[in-house]
Parts: sequence; structure tokens; C-alpha cells
Amino acid sequence: MPLDTSAYSLALLRVDGRRWNELRRVHAQIRTQAAADGSSYLEMGHTKVMCVVTGPSEPGARRGGTTGGAGGGGNNAAEVSVTVVVAGFSSVDRKRRGRGDKRNLELQSTISNALAASLHTHLYPHSTISISLHVLSQDGSLLAALINAATLACVDAGIPMTDYVVACTAGSTSTYAANDEDADPLLDLNHQEEQELPSLTVATLGATDRVAVLVCESRVQASRLEGMLAVGVDGCKQVREILDRVVRDKGRKMVSEGTVERGIGLESMDLD
Amino acid sequence: MASLKRSVESDPLAASISSKVYVRSTKSGKVQKIVREVYLRQDIPCSSKLCHACAATTPRDASGRAIPPVLSEAPAGTKLLPHGHYLVPDTNAFLSAMDLFEQESAFYDVVVLQIVLEELKNRSLPLYNRLIGLTKSEDKRFYVFFNEFRLETHVPRLDGETVNDRNDRAVRKAVAWYGKHLKQTKAKKVPAVVMLSNDRDNLRKAKDEGILAYSLADYVKQLKDGERLLDMIPETEDGESVKDRRPGQLFYDEYYSMSKMMTGIKSGLLHQGTFNVSPYNYLEGSIRVPAFPKALLILGRENINRSVDGDLVVVQVLPKDQWKEPSTQVIEEDAITKNENPDTEEGSGLVSEKERKALQEEVKRTHSKTTEGHAQPTAKVVGVIKRNWRQYVGHIDQSSVSQSSQQGRKQDSVFVVPMDKKIPKIRLRTRQVAELVGKRILVTIDAWDRGSRHPTGHFVRSLGELETKAAETEALLLEYDVQYRPFPKTVLDCLPKEGHDWKVPTSIEDPGWRDREDLRGLGICSIDPIGCQDIDDALHARPLENGNIEVGVHIADVSHFVRPNNAMDTEASIRGTTVYLVDKRIDMLPMLLGTDLCSLKPYVERFAFSVLWELTPEADVINMRFTKSVIKSREAFSYEQAQLRVDDASQQDDLTKSIRTLMSLSRHLKQKRMDAGALSLSSPEVKVQMESETSDPIDVKTKQHLDTMSLVEEFMLLANVSVARKIYDAFPQTALLRRHGEPPATNFDELANQLRVKKNLTLHVDSSRALADSLDTCVDPSEPFFNTLIRIMATRCMMAAEYFCAGTQAYPEFRHYGLASEIYTHFTSPIRRYADLVAHRQLAAAIDYEPVHPAVRSRGRLEAVCKNINVRHRNAQLAGRASIAYYVGQALRGRETEEDGFVMKIFSNGFVVLVPRFGIESLIRLRDLAEPEPEATFDAETYTLETKGSREVKVELFQKVRVKVTDQKDETTGKRGVRMEFVKAY
Repeated sequence: MPLDTSAYSLALLRVDGRRWNELRRVHAQIRTQAAADGSSYLEMGHTKVMCVVTGPSEPGARRGGTTGGAGGGGNNAAEVSVTVVVAGFSSVDRKRRGRGDKRNLELQSTISNALAASLHTHLYPHSTISISLHVLSQDGSLLAALINAATLACVDAGIPMTDYVVACTAGSTSTYAANDEDADPLLDLNHQEEQELPSLTVATLGATDRVAVLVCESRVQASRLEGMLAVGVDGCKQVREILDRVVRDKGRKMVSEGTVERGIGLESMDLD
Repeated sequence: MASLKRSVESDPLAASISSKVYVRSTKSGKVQKIVREVYLRQDIPCSSKLCHACAATTPRDASGRAIPPVLSEAPAGTKLLPHGHYLVPDTNAFLSAMDLFEQESAFYDVVVLQIVLEELKNRSLPLYNRLIGLTKSEDKRFYVFFNEFRLETHVPRLDGETVNDRNDRAVRKAVAWYGKHLKQTKAKKVPAVVMLSNDRDNLRKAKDEGILAYSLADYVKQLKDGERLLDMIPETEDGESVKDRRPGQLFYDEYYSMSKMMTGIKSGLLHQGTFNVSPYNYLEGSIRVPAFPKALLILGRENINRSVDGDLVVVQVLPKDQWKEPSTQVIEEDAITKNENPDTEEGSGLVSEKERKALQEEVKRTHSKTTEGHAQPTAKVVGVIKRNWRQYVGHIDQSSVSQSSQQGRKQDSVFVVPMDKKIPKIRLRTRQVAELVGKRILVTIDAWDRGSRHPTGHFVRSLGELETKAAETEALLLEYDVQYRPFPKTVLDCLPKEGHDWKVPTSIEDPGWRDREDLRGLGICSIDPIGCQDIDDALHARPLENGNIEVGVHIADVSHFVRPNNAMDTEASIRGTTVYLVDKRIDMLPMLLGTDLCSLKPYVERFAFSVLWELTPEADVINMRFTKSVIKSREAFSYEQAQLRVDDASQQDDLTKSIRTLMSLSRHLKQKRMDAGALSLSSPEVKVQMESETSDPIDVKTKQHLDTMSLVEEFMLLANVSVARKIYDAFPQTALLRRHGEPPATNFDELANQLRVKKNLTLHVDSSRALADSLDTCVDPSEPFFNTLIRIMATRCMMAAEYFCAGTQAYPEFRHYGLASEIYTHFTSPIRRYADLVAHRQLAAAIDYEPVHPAVRSRGRLEAVCKNINVRHRNAQLAGRASIAYYVGQALRGRETEEDGFVMKIFSNGFVVLVPRFGIESLIRLRDLAEPEPEATFDAETYTLETKGSREVKVELFQKVRVKVTDQKDETTGKRGVRMEFVKAY
């Protein structure tokens, strides 16, 4: 069994060999389901999620359970409805999470609210944008990965939005009870770190410092929060770069393959 | 059609990402396969001061600080390595010889590999913690190299390779890399990189790969004081001789496998518990298991099966025909195994002739008896869950030393007799027998395998000559695990900068005065033992206009100086308590605080934490409050001085009057406690008088009990109870309290039976009240001491009081049995007890003086603190008693007195006599009575022992006897002890 997070102070190395300010490997693909309006697949380390967006479309008969609707939902704007399905095989112990699972509901409504802030829902009154997220594998930073995947899928679906909503987690190298003033902030926590250390999830609107989501479920001294938040926001900027590159690469490829026509305003885009 | 591609291969970074796969099993028995990412990198420095390349890429933390290189540019050399060397030990080197690495004479510049640290953590947490301690020490230069994360040294596990082989390969690869890396530095003298291992296979492979590798022994031999260090390499390393032993030579049964034990325990066939050895008979142990109300007996070497006192073992109950009574005989190891030879173990079987004879007597006795129900269930140890071995203090058994080893340097086996009689002799191989004979030495047990009658161990260090004050004191501290090293610099840095010049700020505006009440005008005084320097508490009383009395207990405000979680707090929480020895005090807090800044010395202003009550003259509490305050004590009395003042009617000053008021209130308080059923227990307490200049002990006095003592005691109890209520109200989950469990009625069975048979008295044990009352009736009009004797014996049947966290027990379990209080805590001695300091912090938070610190709110942490201070508290008491016993022995040196004593315990071949004058008890064996040993008949029913033949004596339990007390150096334990000779029975 590997060492735990307390070994950080020995050589400033985290349990998986990263430094305090390093992201895990992020791998993303878009347009993974040809038949869907928008789709994406995203890995942050061993956390793997996929996302399918349907819509904007006419609201169908309301199914029970697809809660998390936001963005007006009424007549003037589209409703963003999010479902998160956590696969039973996604964690070490095979566990079934029911549809009514409180954690799931919270994830759904958080994602829905975050996206509704960036998507131009007012363009699609009387309609629904439904986002289905599937968690294939979990290794920490789940909410962040879900938000990132949903953003990519929305981009793929061609829904106008202000900017990417990008998210990542931040933590601190010592526990709450240790009360260590000199603790380093950490970026992008994996499962083990999330279990042992205080952490928060932050999402920003693109490369700005505007925070769209801030979730902190662990106890941490207020004095450490500032450092954690700064590192998290910084990480969001890095994530945005990565996602943006994925989108541009895909677009370039599609144009060169002739799948889509070169649109207006794309002349300046470098095609090689 | 788009499809998901395999993400990793397409990624350019993939080469530097690996994964670690391992399997673990959870507590519930589930097996989990865990896959973790590993990010490989090239910026992990080698940390040698020679290497400039690594210095450039050294990692920085979030605030931009870099870790400076650790390994010296000119490391020490040895005979074979003139250019100096860095050591890279593998896991078994640390596992088997951690003591070596902690030496001051050698073992500097050590590279601890990550994989080694991981393995060590899995194998032994205490060793891991010691190693972490070493890596933090600046002068030892231990560097943790994360080989698993460095691209060049990362080793994936091959198909079919065992984890151990892979780890060994990782160690070799890291050593090879270090060697190559250091060559690139182009330094003039490139230090050699040496792998240390005790694994023969690993050493051979290293040789094949051209890596410099030594076994521990080979390496140590090259060092200057190699001879001495060689002894610290544990015995098991010469494993072959043990393993190759002929199969017929196995003395003990094999242990069950862990899974067999676990299933056995689950199904209720096996039982788990802590193994305790009887203090009078080394071949008899007992174990308490939850399944039975009474302890199970474990008799004889085969059944004890290599367990040592304190081990967590698994036992199996033996069939009923093997049930026995607890022994009524004294069996001492040294008497029976005196002539065993540490070198040769062949010939006799496991149980030697003499042991067998001793056991025969037992069997005879149980068979001859027809009375039913006396036999107790017996059990046999079938496995050990967790060893509780520590370092033991002992000395070499002179008789086990052969003549030749007295002179030569050849390695020799000798026996070490531990000071603790419950620990078996330890076989030790050493080259320096001649130097070590007659010294107090520290040894550890390494192993106890089936082929060896005694456990084998290795020498750690020598404490000095037997019977020198320094050696004996250190031995005592080590034996009770008291932290006695001077406070490290980090701790001293936490002290106020003003040092002894610190004063209560004169300006009321100062932040130190925030929310503090000014009680400097009150006539406060302290009453303590003579010569007390750490004054925790002070008192005052003044009449109020309504006829009631205001009483204040003022406790040193230690929590003002010791902030939670700094180095000083951590050190204090580890030490847990101040330890008082006869000639020495080992402080929990640095002197500056304990005896000056916190101590409520007279005539100076001090910060205090006060508890103020309004009491009626009958000592009923009208109301109470708690406040931080500033006080100025008027006088520091000793108990004797205070008593004289109270008794002297001519003294009519305010201070004396207020002491008199307190005295009368305390009597009421005591009466109330007694009415509620508080026990007045007793233990033989004596005081050693020392010569003032040489501090040699000259006499022993029994402690006088003065009314002023109970005055202070009553108010401290009242304060503790009041505080306990308050913090429990504020923190129902985390309040740190103290409880004293009700002893199970069976604990008193024996004593009750003895009283019934011998004195026709009955002992009621249904409640503390009933016990207190029936103890009061246990009097023998002709013998005033009899009642005290019974109280001493009753005290030994009790449970130990313990600290606990309120959330861990239900409210009814909070009860303090001895004090008959519903709830209790320790608040009044924060200078010398850590529990009180925590209570102070909790109380300060409860009265909104300061916000709750997470350290006093986290239940897990508090539980850990409780666990530690419970152990420390007990050890401190034992150490204190042992110190008194040692000095009583010294005081009696060369004297011979006749004293009265009482028979406390009776065996078929001896009896124990307590001499109240010296507070000592000692065993008198039949063979001490006369030469040749008189024949004796022992009647267990009536507790009488009658001898015939060479001397005719009849001894009964509780009998008053006359004994001659002399001192004697016990050749076997090396202790100077008291020896009693029987003179006559009254």
C-alpha cells in the first residue's frame, strides 16, 4: 500500500508523484456519438466520464426523476435538465446508486445551474436541453470532470454560450485538525487525497476569474481557503486551454475532412 | 463512425505515466484491487551537495521555498571505502536494526528509498515513525528519495514476479542510478553508494549486477567501533543455524494461520485478549476475554507458547479435565532455570525436569481435592495477533557467562534477566560479555521461534554500572517509557521571549487582560507539600454579606502559554504527565513555565483560571462561575505550616481565618461525599528522607495525613466536578472526562472469601456505598492496622480510573466509582497533567473566552490523546513507586531492623508480608525459614500454612508477624531489594 498524504512534506511530492500545482493528465474527445446532438468523453486521471446532449428540443412528457432543471424552464428560456448516472463498476466497491440518491441530485442541480449561467438559454424558449452524464470510473474530482465534459458536449451540440465553464478541485496538504499554517495548496485531487485532505471544487467562466461554482464539503481553516481558491482558479485556466485545444483540433479536422463547411469568421483559423 | 480511442497510447505524455496496481483486503474480508496513477518525473533531486544539476531543478513549495540538499559533500568513509559513501538500506535492514541507524557514531548520509519507506510502513508502524523522526533530524542527514516517481528508477512489476522481488529490484536499480548519477558530478572524490541488505538473495543479485552491497554485519565490521555495533544486529540474521535445526528440536507448537484464527474467533471457538503473567509465578498467565466473566488461566510453558506479557494473543479453551486452580505456589524463573545453558538447547525437552516437578505438585493438589467448583478453565495460546515487545532493561545473568567469554572477543550467548519479572530471560549473542557483565543494559527481543526455549534478542546500549544512581534512574525511566530527554529547541522556541522576566502586563488595555477579572485584591494563598515548585492551585475564602461564603479555586493558566498544536503542546501531549521520582522530577512542560511563569508563586501577579462558588456555611453550592483572572498569592504554605497556623489559636490574621473557614467547609464537603458512598481507599505510602547535601537516602517515614491535605483535596474535587459538568454541557461529544469503572463483583470474590473464613466478616460489593460501609466494619479491635490492610487489598481489586472522551461512553458510564461522583474530570493540575490542559481549553471555550480550537473539538484526536495519557499516567505512577522502592532499599542498606508486618497473601511454599513502616511487601519462601526446607501442609480452605520438621511455624492470612528486615542485593535481578526474615508469629 502506498504512503499516505502525510508524506508530502518529505520531498514535496504527492501520493501519485505530482507537485502541488500540477494537474493530472486530462484527455478529452468530442463528438464521440455520431447520432447525438452533442457528445464528449473526458478523463481526468482515472476519473472517466462521458456526456451526451440532446436538444434544444421540445420538452417531452416530463419523466419523474429528471430533476435539476434550471435556467428558467418556463416559457422564456430553455430548461437545462441534467441526469447523472454513476455506473456500478465505477468505483472499487461495486455499489449501486439509485436515481433518488441525494448526492446525485446535488450533482445534477449544481451542474445544471452552472451551465445555465453560461448557455444562452433565452434563445430557445419552450424547450429543453437535456444533458446525460455517465460516470465510468471514479478517482476524485468527479464534479469537476462532469462539468468539463458537459461543457464540451454543449459546444459540440452547437448551443451558443458565453464561454467554457471549466472546473477543477483544489485542496490543502494537511488535514483540518493538524491546523498547519504552512500547508501548501494542492491542485486537482485524486480519490485518496480527497478522502484524507480538505478540498473544494471551483468552476470559472472561461479564463476569467468569475467563479460559477464553488463547492466545499470539508472543514478547513478560513486562512487556508484563499490559497486553495487561487490555485483552483489557476487550474481552471489550464483546463480551459486543454478543452479549447480539443475543440479546435476537432473543428480543424472536420473542416479538412469536409464534414462541415468552413464557416464565417473561420477564415483566419489556421488549418494545418 | 466516430469511436472512442484508447486514450493513453495516443497521448504524448503517456511514457511518463504509469500505474501502481495492488490488492488489499478490507476489514470485512473483501478483496479490492486498487489501481493508482503514478506520474514519473525527472526533477526529483538526488539531494547530494556535490550535485549541481539537481540543485538547479530542486522543487519548491507553494511559497517558493526550496528544500536544501541533505547529503553531505564529504561523507564519512570506512576502511574499504576511503572516498566516503552514501548508504542505501533495504527494508529488512531497517526492520531488523533500526537501533543501529539511530546511533550517533555512525550511519550518516543515508538514502531512504520510497519503496523501503512504504514497505516499512506496512510491516511496522512504530519503526516507520522512528524512521520519519530520523529523516527530520538535521544532523543525521537521512534523505527520502522517491525512486518510484523518478522516471529512471521506476520499475514495473514483471509477469510472475513477486512483490518482494520487484521491490528488491527497485532498490538495486535506485542504487545503480545513484552511482551513475554521482559520477556525472565530476567531483574529485565521488562517494560510493552502498546497498545494505540482510537478504542473501538480494546481495547475490547485487553482486551479479555489479552493485556495491554489504550485509549489515559486513558493513558494521568496517566501522571504527564495529565491535560494539555488531551486537546490535539482531539475532535472526544468523538465521541458518536456527532454520537448519533438526525437526525433533522444536519446543513449541506452531501458531495457527491468521485466517484460521480469524474464523475461529468469529465462530466463538477461539478467544482474543491481552496476555498477562502472574507476578508470582512466571509459568502462569491469565487472559481476560469478553466471552467469559472470569479470566482464563494459561499454565505452563507449552500453553503459554512463546507469548510475552502484554501480547495480544488468541487462545483456545482446554478440555475440562485439564482445568486447574490458580497456583498457590510461588515459582520464580531464576530459581528454576538457573542452570540452563544459553548455548546448548538440546537434551532436555521443552519443559525441564524442575519445571515438571513444580507442575506435578500442582496437579497432585487439584486431584486430591474433592471440593467442586474450584478449578478454573484453562486455555492454550494458539497464535499471536500483535506482539507488544518493547525495549527491556536488564542485566546479564552472571551464571550464564562462560569463563572463556570473560576474556576473549568471540561471540557468545548469554542470558539477560529483565528487571520486569514478568518478562522471560532473553538470550543474547554478544562479543563484549566482559564489558557488559555488571552493567544495566537495554535489550530488545527480536524473535522467539519454535526451536528456542527463550526469546532471542540483541543488545541496544549500556546504561552504566548496576546500582549507580544514574543508571538505575535511567533504567527506571526506560522501563516505564518515560520521555526524559531534554526539551528540543523547537519546544523551547515556543516559550515567551521575556524568559524569567515575563510579567503580567501592567496595562489593563493589554490583550493579555482581555476578559480577565482582576482578583489581585483577594487574600489568596496556596498550600502544597514542602519544597513544591510547580504550584498549580491556590485558594481563597471570604464571607459575603448574606452570610454565605465566597470560595475561589485558582488554577495556573497554563493554556495561556501553551497554544494548541505548537511544538510545546505536541511534546506535552506526548509526555502526558510530569513524573515524580524520589530524587528527580521529569517535567511535562519546560522549567520556565512549570516552576516560574505558570506556577502560582506568592507575592507576584500571575494569570489564573478561577472557579468561584458561593457556598452556604454547610457547603451547599448556591451558584458558581468560571473566569480567567489575574491573582496575587499572599503566601505559599506547606501543609505543615498551614496546619500549625490553623491549630495556633493566637493567629487571628485574615489569611489564617480564611484557611479555617475553608477547613470547616471542607469537612462538610467530605461528609457529603462519604454519604454519597465515596470510598476511602488506602495504599502504603512512605517518604524517603534524603541527606540534604549528598542526597543519599537516610531514612524512611510513613506519610503523615494532615487536615490541610484533605482541605486542598476537597476543593480540588469540587472544582473538578464543577468543571466536568460545565464542559460536558458545552461539548457533549468531546469533553475530556475521567471515569472510574465499577469493578466486577468477581474481583472481590477472593477477598470476600478470605474475610469470611478468617475473620467472619462480610464484604458487600453491590455498590460503592455498600462497599464503603462494609469496609468500615472490617475492624479488628486488637489491631488498628487491620482496617488499613483490608483497604489496601480492596484497592487492588479495583479497576484503574481512565480519561475518556464524553462521546465514547453513555452517561451512566461516566461515573467515578471511587469518588461516587456522576461526572469527573481533571482540571486542577495543568502544569503536570496534559488532561487538565485540555480541560482548560474546553472550559475557556465553554465560557466563550476563546473560540474552540479544532484540536479540542476533533473527537478522533481527543481519543488518541486520552489513550496516550492513560498509559502515561499509569507508567508515571509505576515509575514513582519503583523509585521509592529502590530508595527504600538504599536507605536500609547495611541496616538490620525488626518490624511488625502482616501476611497479605499465602502460597503453599511461601507467604507475602507487608511491613507498613516501610510500605514494602516481600515474599518469604519456605526455604528461607530454615535449612533444610521444612515440610509444610497448606490448607487452601482456611488459608493456613503449617510447617513441620526443621522449623515449626503456623502462618495464617492477615496474621501479624514479626520480621527482620535487611537489605540484600538480589543476584538474579541485580536489584537491591529488601529481604525479610521471619522471626515469630504473634
